[in-house]
Amino acid sequence: MVGQYDENLLPDMLPIYYTKYFPQNIFCRWLSCGSSPQPLSNRELSFTLADDVYLRYLSICDQKELQTLFQKKCPHKLDIGAVYNTKPSIARHDSVVLARELVFDIDLTDYDEVRTCCKEAKVCEKCWKFMVIACEIIDKALKDDFGFQSILWVFSGRRGIHCWVSDYEARVLDSPGRGAVADYLCLIMGGENQSKKVNLGNDNLHTSIRRALDVIDKYFEEILQDQEFFATADGLKALLKLIPDETLRSQVEKKLEKLPECSLERWRQFTSLYDSYCRENGFAIRKMKYLVEEIKIQYCYPRLDVNVTKGFNHLLKSPFSIHPKTGKVSIVFKPNNARKMKLSDVPTIYSLLDDSSAYSVEHQNNMKTSVKNFQEVVFSLEKAEAMRRKNDANISLEF
Amino acid sequence: MDLNIKRKSTKTVIKGSLVETYPHDLQMYKLPPTEEISLQEFETLALERLMLLRSLATATTLKGFRAFSDEWKEYVQNELRNQGLKYYAKLCEYTKHGTDADLQARKKDHIAHFILRLAYCRNEELRRWFVARELELFKMRFMTMNSEAVDAFFRLNNLSYTNISDEEKSGIISFLRESTAHQNIENMKFYKVKFYEVLDLVKFRKVFLSGGYAYIPHKDFVSVLSAQFRKHLRHSLAVACHHLGEIEQDERLVCLLKGLHQSYTGADYADTKAVVPIESLDSLSVKSYPLCMRQLHEQLRLSHHLKHGGRLQYGLFLKGIGVTLEDSLRFWREEFTKIMDLDNFEKQYSYYIRYNYGKEGSKRNYSPLSCLKIVNETVGPGDCHGCPYRHCDVSNLKNKLQGYGMDPQAISDIVDTAKKGHFQVACSKYFDSVNNVDLGLGINHPNQYFEESQKLLKGEIKVIKKEKGNIKKETIEDLEFDEDF
Ligand code: SF4
Ligand SMILES: [Zn+2]
Repeated sequence: MVGQYDENLLPDMLPIYYTKYFPQNIFCRWLSCGSSPQPLSNRELSFTLADDVYLRYLSICDQKELQTLFQKKCPHKLDIGAVYNTKPSIARHDSVVLARELVFDIDLTDYDEVRTCCKEAKVCEKCWKFMVIACEIIDKALKDDFGFQSILWVFSGRRGIHCWVSDYEARVLDSPGRGAVADYLCLIMGGENQSKKVNLGNDNLHTSIRRALDVIDKYFEEILQDQEFFATADGLKALLKLIPDETLRSQVEKKLEKLPECSLERWRQFTSLYDSYCRENGFAIRKMKYLVEEIKIQYCYPRLDVNVTKGFNHLLKSPFSIHPKTGKVSIVFKPNNARKMKLSDVPTIYSLLDDSSAYSVEHQNNMKTSVKNFQEVVFSLEKAEAMRRKNDANISLEF
Repeated sequence: MDLNIKRKSTKTVIKGSLVETYPHDLQMYKLPPTEEISLQEFETLALERLMLLRSLATATTLKGFRAFSDEWKEYVQNELRNQGLKYYAKLCEYTKHGTDADLQARKKDHIAHFILRLAYCRNEELRRWFVARELELFKMRFMTMNSEAVDAFFRLNNLSYTNISDEEKSGIISFLRESTAHQNIENMKFYKVKFYEVLDLVKFRKVFLSGGYAYIPHKDFVSVLSAQFRKHLRHSLAVACHHLGEIEQDERLVCLLKGLHQSYTGADYADTKAVVPIESLDSLSVKSYPLCMRQLHEQLRLSHHLKHGGRLQYGLFLKGIGVTLEDSLRFWREEFTKIMDLDNFEKQYSYYIRYNYGKEGSKRNYSPLSCLKIVNETVGPGDCHGCPYRHCDVSNLKNKLQGYGMDPQAISDIVDTAKKGHFQVACSKYFDSVNNVDLGLGINHPNQYFEESQKLLKGEIKVIKKEKGNIKKETIEDLEFDEDF
């Protein structure tokens, strides 16, 4: 294990972290670009101080003010809000939200009904693979389908990932627009009272769903073995509940119970039973044409917290903020590197500040790489913004 | 807003004969009318349009028809005829040239739309309702037009779009085939619009998206237009609200306009006078709660916790039936502190309870959620809120009802109704079964459910117990619809 998690050390360590490691300059540039055409000072920041004291409606004009604010308040956690028509600290009552990055929040606790390795706040390398899949699927959809480019992926500090889309069109998207994007990406629906949470109907599969399935297929068997979804009696029962046809269900039940407690074997048996059942019964196809796909999706497709995406001014933890419970840095990572990323590679405030830590050197490097990843996204965003402004200026000249 | 009633009009926005003013059955209502009309006419037109909008709402919610399906349209058309609103019925069936009667109908349509804008602009709740209804009307009318009429409409409104080239189309034809919700893609021309112009198609994954563009055939332009219509109407209502003061100098109008919306939106249960002690909640949950609330209550008692969506839905309901803020805090505290310490509860949860009562945050007096909101809630893993008729598996729902010891006949009736997607009708059947009556109420709000049940128990409504030839009771049919498409 890394370092010593002692929250009591934070007040001493944080000021050093903010000065020495937090990429203040890039951070301010990212936020200014993402606030334009409003000034940076119209953006809401919020701090969580020691003892859960919560400060909202803070704002900064520039990097200097950020540094001062950090030193004065020493926030244990830093969140980012929306862009207002005025400085958020004044005139709170008639302030209007004008823009906000389009954000996504994926948290492993929402996978509790499928993952078997951990529960609640715990994570391990096995369940981290769910995040790898989520990241790959969402990133592709945002780029290919919606044409977005400035996409930032951030580790949330404990058990999930965040995604920030800074493209102008995404920033000014209204609430129904955000809702529609979230719903487009959301395939798993239903709460405690619904076992089968995915229904794909029996028309053609939408291009985006087929693409997502291609991603899932790359990992499915591996995850199946890691998690042993169907090895236990409960796991098997959960699978049976997803089969809408009674005859097939009892066939599967009888066969699978006799098999050794191995999910992969059980899964293969299930799909072959399903195939032959559908071949023999034409009607079955109509009723459950995509059953196999639906089950794969239910077990592996990203589980988005859609309320975070739909809400225009939901606060979200900032990149490079420290997670107060784990001490981990919310690092920025590249989506195509997600697979290689290990949770133990994530620097913590303790390993960064303690030279004697066994991880010190490695974590210092990882921190640098992460800042570089951040820079790359910010540079391309700045370019895109400059282009947009130039185009706008041209258009207005024509009139 | 520029609506003069028997007053000198200084501006003439629309000129010329009726043919020039109203060249088409369908309009975007860009310009306000300037004619002078009598107060009498004013009132009639307003009421007639309300009846029209109301029958749209009834078709979807109380009758349970899928919006814009054939049965839905037929129901609306019949309603209009029965209520003597033939001219609206005709306007919904595109007429080509326009007889004088047609032109008069178009004019009435125009004026009435603008009158209702005044009545429905004064707060967000009303605006939402109105926009949703007008949007349904617009879509219904657009969808019944033939292609000639559509072309004419595009021309008149200066909407020009160019279709994509054949090469571009053949390059993506397989994607179009799998992602577009139409047959015979091969013979259709496709158009490229930004994805945010067709959010309703995006939301339901009914369109192929690439690089931020949506590829739609001609038929799907109804999405583009209704999005524009909605945006324009929302904006106009906001403007109208600003100028309300000027119109309200005329006393007669104030009464009229206020009366209009009050008679047609139903109560919102944000302010109740009754006081219900929390000690009685267990027994009330059995007798007088709709299933959605009963389920939340039971879950809370069982696990001493509810996730955010559940706290909101149940918390606001409790406020609506008359649980005071102090009681409410006590109620939640007693449950939650069985699994957490007091400090934790105070820090994390008491804020939201006070918030529901308008004591924190924006200090708005939040209304309890209506069925339509609840039915359309997003329910995720671990959540118990939402409407059980929609968000429970059939087997789960059955078990639950059996667990309550309900009559098997009633159970299968309720479950079947829910399966068909008529959630509120199922709810009404549950009401009848629990209360052992046969009222067939239209349920559109959990708090209305509660009040009706209380009235029954207190003997305020006389009912004929389950017998043939029962009397149906009329209720407020007006429903608040989530305006999102
Ligand atoms: S129909 Fe309305 S009152 Fe009835 S259970 Fe559903 S949400 Fe609750
Ligand atoms: Zn794990």
